[in-house]
Amino acid sequence: MKKKTNFIPIILASLLGLSFPSFAQNSKLTDPEIASIAVTANQVDIDQAAVALKLSKNPDVIHFAETMANDHKAVIGQAVALVTKLKVTPKDNAVSKKLTADATKTIADLKKKSGKAFDKAYVDNEVAYHKAVIGVVEGTLIPATANSELKDLLQKVVPALKAHLEHAEMIQKSLTK
Amino acid sequence: MKRLIFAAGSCLLWAGLLMIQSCSSAPEKPSAYVVEIKDMKFVPEDITVKKGDTITFINRDMMAHDVTEETAKSWSSGKMEADVSWKLVVSEAATYYCSIHTVMKGKIELE
Repeated sequence: MKKKTNFIPIILASLLGLSFPSFAQNSKLTDPEIASIAVTANQVDIDQAAVALKLSKNPDVIHFAETMANDHKAVIGQAVALVTKLKVTPKDNAVSKKLTADATKTIADLKKKSGKAFDKAYVDNEVAYHKAVIGVVEGTLIPATANSELKDLLQKVVPALKAHLEHAEMIQKSLTK
Repeated sequence: MKRLIFAAGSCLLWAGLLMIQSCSSAPEKPSAYVVEIKDMKFVPEDITVKKGDTITFINRDMMAHDVTEETAKSWSSGKMEADVSWKLVVSEAATYYCSIHTVMKGKIELE
């Protein structure tokens, strides 16, 4: 059985300059682009949670997916309220487009699985995804954000991402028992 | 006469002492405490109170939380959206958690 790699965290990290310095050096992210990346990254997790809610029978996985959907919707709600107030229009960019494209692929891969294999694939992906997002938000998006309120919002989201990661790792351990 | 004055003085002294004692043993008014839920933590995570004191939990995060007794689920705030608060009159020591984000935990200890 060939193990599939989830490329979203790698692409997210690499496009923001962790593996493709040329991309990062040649294009400084603007606040509208950062807002778009933030909303897209949250939407990706909501979409993946929706798949888990349809396909998983595991109560812990279902509870986690519900939490992901609700929490990331709350973050998007705050982000939309803020960009509306700031009159900033989120601007689609290479990172947000790639995130969306790869999320589509990840979801298609997840839908091919069922039972314990699905649970493991979904939770493994959540662990990897949250690790990558935390790294990028802390290391790239926050330092690159010019507007102080947008920077504050991103900083407020980090503890939630870390709690999600801890929660996902806890389930990951329980699935391997 | 001296004895009478001494007896009266003694009575007054005892009465005074009794008054002081009754004042000092009057039940203390319950105190009010606040635990904030912010950055996915209960702040403070560990609080020491007296039986009958009130703790107000305030959700300062953007996502919903709850405050649920962990061992027997004997009490719970129910879902608290952002900026919602909930009061608990403390009757016993407890460990509690957020049942939505199970990694969030707190403790109430009695003096």
